[in-house]
Amino acid sequence: MTSSAELSWEQLVPGDPMRELVKVPTPMQLFMFSAVTWNRHLIHYNTEFARADGLKHVAVHRALIGGMLAQMISEWIGDDGAIQSLEWSVRGSAEVNRPLKLVGHVTGKRQVDDDLLVDCDVRAEDEQGNVIAPGTLRG
Amino acid sequence: MSATNEPELLPPESVAAIGTVSEHVYVVTARDIRRYAQAVGDPNPLYYDEEYARASRHGTIVAPPLFCHALAFEDVPAESLRADGLPAELDVPLPTTRAVGGASTFEVGALVRPGDVITVHKVIEDIYRRSGRSGDLIFVVLGTTFTNQNGEVVARERATFVNR
Repeated sequence: MTSSAELSWEQLVPGDPMRELVKVPTPMQLFMFSAVTWNRHLIHYNTEFARADGLKHVAVHRALIGGMLAQMISEWIGDDGAIQSLEWSVRGSAEVNRPLKLVGHVTGKRQVDDDLLVDCDVRAEDEQGNVIAPGTLRG
Repeated sequence: MSATNEPELLPPESVAAIGTVSEHVYVVTARDIRRYAQAVGDPNPLYYDEEYARASRHGTIVAPPLFCHALAFEDVPAESLRADGLPAELDVPLPTTRAVGGASTFEVGALVRPGDVITVHKVIEDIYRRSGRSGDLIFVVLGTTFTNQNGEVVARERATFVNR
């Protein structure tokens, strides 16, 4: 990443929060994501199937949670920044029609040649603060 | 992780599936990028607006960082899928019936642009069994490499799927 008007690499220190993003995954959004990824697994759009699997509702895709984390990160670093790698792990069930908060904080920063890099812990959490998917960013 | 795929814990046909390779090629369109961004719900004009994108450092519309997820699964007909619609790439012989996505490590290279020709190379990197709270779980690790027409790796993912 490089410095932008909104975010300065030079001023970042470990512990700084990332700009959070709240999203509400809907059944329509899950359908769109299934379609665009050509993922036809019933668990993402067939409520009866999902309930038989022990879920309250259809399952939010692992890859969609990753895409939402990437959106939060991209909005924070701005168009001049770039994600190098993102790691995340789905530990709980994100519920459709309920807010999903994408948050994170800086854990370190490095300069490699001309690249100004920042490492962060990120996570998706529900309204109660339960961690649905923790992860790490190198960007 | 691979140390845990002890043969006595997995049927031989499951162990034999480790190393299975498949490949397909997709041409990326601006519409693919737009639809992926809409599905994530990401309004960044870099993904939609040619004029805005032209003035950016990219000079053209680019895809969101994790866009290659839209290219990961091959366009096989529905008849060739398992009854639950599990992507064909994950349909390996296992003594389980249910699968869900678990974890991912996603590396981003050059951003994908409209017109890119992406070769999607997939390999079942590992299959292993672990005991969980709700019984035994079998983990399938799918490694995918996305390479553009210039031979540049645009993304690489190592995704773990949980089967029970």
